[in-house]
Amino acid sequence: MSAASGTLAREGRVVLALGRRSLTIQFRKAQLLMPTFILPLMLLAVIASGTSAAQGLRGFPDVASYVAFIVPGTIIQGTILAGLTAGIALASDIEFGFFDRLLAAPVNRVSLVLGRLAATIGLALLQSTFFLLVAMPFGARYSGGVDGAILAIAIAAITAAGIGGIAAAIALRTGSLSLLQSLFPFMFVLLFTAPAFFPRELLNPILRDVAAYNPLTYVVEAVRGLLSGTSVGDPLTGFAAATGLALVTTGLAVLALRERLRTQ
Amino acid sequence: MRDLVREYKGGIRAVDGLDLDVATGEIYGFLGPNGAGKTTCVRILTTLLRPTSGRALVAGCDVVRDADLVRRSIGVALQEAAIDPLMTGRELLRMQGALHGLRAREARGRASDLLERVGLVEAGDRRIGGYSGGMRRRLDLALALVHRPVVLFLDEPTTGLDPTSRAALWREVRALNNEGTTVFLTTQYLEEAEQLADRVGIIARGRLVAEGTPNDLKARVGMPTLHIELAEAEHAGEARTALEGIGPVEPPDPRAPTRVGVRSASGKGAIAPVVRLLDERGIAIVAVEVESPSLDDVFIAVTGTGLEGGAVQPPEAEAVES
Repeated sequence: MSAASGTLAREGRVVLALGRRSLTIQFRKAQLLMPTFILPLMLLAVIASGTSAAQGLRGFPDVASYVAFIVPGTIIQGTILAGLTAGIALASDIEFGFFDRLLAAPVNRVSLVLGRLAATIGLALLQSTFFLLVAMPFGARYSGGVDGAILAIAIAAITAAGIGGIAAAIALRTGSLSLLQSLFPFMFVLLFTAPAFFPRELLNPILRDVAAYNPLTYVVEAVRGLLSGTSVGDPLTGFAAATGLALVTTGLAVLALRERLRTQ
Repeated sequence: MRDLVREYKGGIRAVDGLDLDVATGEIYGFLGPNGAGKTTCVRILTTLLRPTSGRALVAGCDVVRDADLVRRSIGVALQEAAIDPLMTGRELLRMQGALHGLRAREARGRASDLLERVGLVEAGDRRIGGYSGGMRRRLDLALALVHRPVVLFLDEPTTGLDPTSRAALWREVRALNNEGTTVFLTTQYLEEAEQLADRVGIIARGRLVAEGTPNDLKARVGMPTLHIELAEAEHAGEARTALEGIGPVEPPDPRAPTRVGVRSASGKGAIAPVVRLLDERGIAIVAVEVESPSLDDVFIAVTGTGLEGGAVQPPEAEAVES
């Protein structure tokens, strides 16, 4: 094994170990589990029961069921929450000193960020699968089949890493747990400036213009298209938006970590 | 380290031109009150903080330029290091193994070995949230040992521990040192520095104000005093005259007429000559007590202030009944 591949394998083990630790804590801590799994389902229930009449509006896409139409919104909400909890957990590690333990170890600093985001990806994979399965008894059908569902889940997971990257950058720059916790309301801004629960064409014009600049618009439409097997969204555009977001925000998180180490 | 300086925002110098050498294989006790600069110094030496100026080498590597090499050589148990309460001791040890490049099987084996070493085999698979303070500190020590470091940094390792847990940790630190690990220990407990450290450095306001072995430091502030309790007060004057050959005799204390004090660099070693001398003159002794200057006396002497919040060790006392 060459030195480079040896180093890569070593850093890979670090990323996996940190990801496993983050996921373990996530599933043992009710206050992290509740918002990531239960809150999106509650919103799904409220929207599915309260606004299903929207399906009858002129211009509403021809979908098998309203629940199936809004499940992509639930998935994206889940990804935002998964990303935010990554930032909260990181800020908590910084505030309570655990991050120092990681910094005192001979690991590449990028691996510390990737380890956290690996857990976010893992969480989003589980969340998205869970939401898709839970929606089925309530009438959700996925015409895109298993392949479509797998691709949709993959795009959602990459998006979660993208949101996690922003949250991690804020956590690393500020080290403030309370600031990260105060960001929860912004989740709804991100969510409702994308066509998460309503077709883009039926949004009011101002919101429609704003939605064009929200990368989650393309993600949610791609997920919807893949699940429904229709052309309501372009999978490639959604994949590009998710990947672009993930790359940019991961880069920001790494820069924030470097800046933190340089200035502390 | 040479002329090490760490300045925080607002111009506060937590470390202010520190020069320090620690020999391979020794236990160096870094003693000082809260806010003296101990933790800042340890954070620089463990690569967690960059110095503003000056240079520090750990295990022969520069803490700024060769930070990664330093991290491979050191084990760190920080005062405020959080240990995930939701994870088990074994899980955390395995994760720490991965951070230090161990493969899964290697990390599993090392975790088991270390749990045994620090006496946490039974608790190893329980969540850390249920551990006592002493168990957490032992786990913290085990985490610092995963990669068999050559230098171990312990930042106030026994703060808040009960005497039994403290003694257990001291035994482990001594055992590690006997195996060749160099230990850099910060503490605000004088007794801890005295019990463990080969040499002690006293830091105050970011500067090293005294350094040496505990005995050297204590000798600098004065010699031990032998307090001799006589059977009869009327022999006190004669005893004082006789003891002038041993060392400086303390002036009489009207509140304790049967008590005679003499200072001797020999400390306990002077008990036998004193007893013999007085016995030859037929002066009956009830008890002899040796009082050594404490590190607290040293601290007060070099800084002009006591150790705020530090546990002051009782004077070393040894009584001989006759």
